[in-house]
Amino acid sequence: MNKLEEIIETFQDLDNESRLQLLIDFAEKLPPIPEAYCTLVQKQAHRVHECQTSVSLWVNVVNGKVQIYADVPRESPTVRGFIALLIKAFTGASPIEIDKAPTDILNRTGLASSLGMMRLQGLSAVYRRIKDETRRASFLNSRN
Amino acid sequence: MRQYIHPEVLVSTKWVSDNINDPNVRIVESDEDVLLYETGHVPNAVKIDWQLDLQDPIRRDYVGQERFEQLLSQKGISNDTKVIFYGDKSNWWACYAFWTFKLFGHENCLVMNGGRQKWLEENRKITKDIPLFQKTKYCVGKINEKTIRAFREDVILHVEKNKSLIDVRSPDEYTGKLLHMENYPQEGALRGGHIPGAKNVPWARAANADGTFKSADELKEIYETEVELKPDDEVIAYCRIGERSSHTWFVLTFLLGYKNVRNYDGSWTEWGNLVRAPVERP
Repeated sequence: MNKLEEIIETFQDLDNESRLQLLIDFAEKLPPIPEAYCTLVQKQAHRVHECQTSVSLWVNVVNGKVQIYADVPRESPTVRGFIALLIKAFTGASPIEIDKAPTDILNRTGLASSLGMMRLQGLSAVYRRIKDETRRASFLNSRN
Repeated sequence: MRQYIHPEVLVSTKWVSDNINDPNVRIVESDEDVLLYETGHVPNAVKIDWQLDLQDPIRRDYVGQERFEQLLSQKGISNDTKVIFYGDKSNWWACYAFWTFKLFGHENCLVMNGGRQKWLEENRKITKDIPLFQKTKYCVGKINEKTIRAFREDVILHVEKNKSLIDVRSPDEYTGKLLHMENYPQEGALRGGHIPGAKNVPWARAANADGTFKSADELKEIYETEVELKPDDEVIAYCRIGERSSHTWFVLTFLLGYKNVRNYDGSWTEWGNLVRAPVERP
């Protein structure tokens, strides 16, 4: 079972309250971005505009393995937690694994019902962006 | 300098700090982000989520009376409790929760001016401890649906009679260039524009950079000089789903003392999808 499936299963088995608590734990553990990226955050050069929260995102493919970095404000713990979850699930995976990852993870983790209908669109957008960026990075690598 | 017409609905961060342990006071945090409360909140504050607690999960509506009573009972709120609302984003969501409490007839509602932002900027104490209060027996008395909530039928009549409408969305949503707030996710409307006759005053113009409300003079300048509302007007405010407009409803009703303001919570996600509803685009 890959890391994403393991995480989905863990979330599935939890009640609402524990599920949200686990998301907070993820939010607190979002890895910091490399120092070189900090000025790019201010310039909003890597901003995910589809998400209301000011999220900056980097997806790199190095030696066939995916690395993801994100800057998310502390005042948005839900988005922070969800991105930290995706980073944990996808770091070190191959671009193909990410491409094949299920699109409905908000439903499968149970987060859709725990967070409420109107909070899902921004999170889905971030997830789509990670998949798109992975495809783009992998394509660029294949050309070089 | 003029004063707010009902200054008694606002309390300062200092007042809250001094009254944190008063058993007749219940502090309620309401945020856009459902997990923000858990990262640290005003001591003894309970959380009420605008979506998970106040909206019906199946039908597009607020929770029913019974569920509202259960919620308040669980949070240790009695019919005579003084409820102080605060939250993120200039008390946007706090005003939404305040409006919903008023809808269910809760008398004693106040807002902590400046909200979460001001509390944190003043380095006041926060905690992750979730307080537990004894359950109460809460009974909804009078529901204020007729006086503070507008349905689409009311808005249609309002348009026909050329009464005041305030569209509190961003200018691009008002003109129809965007169907949702800039940078916000698309939330389903098939048509862009505004309800005919509505004037545009984005809700956040009523707030200062520190999250507090603007002064009575500044508010009068915006709502009365600029868009020519009058305190006796019947006003309906709307936005996309009725949350930003509850902030404007609060400002007009309590800070400027308008007696007849309703919030159209169906807002643009209803109007912009309604077959044959008239739409104005500049």
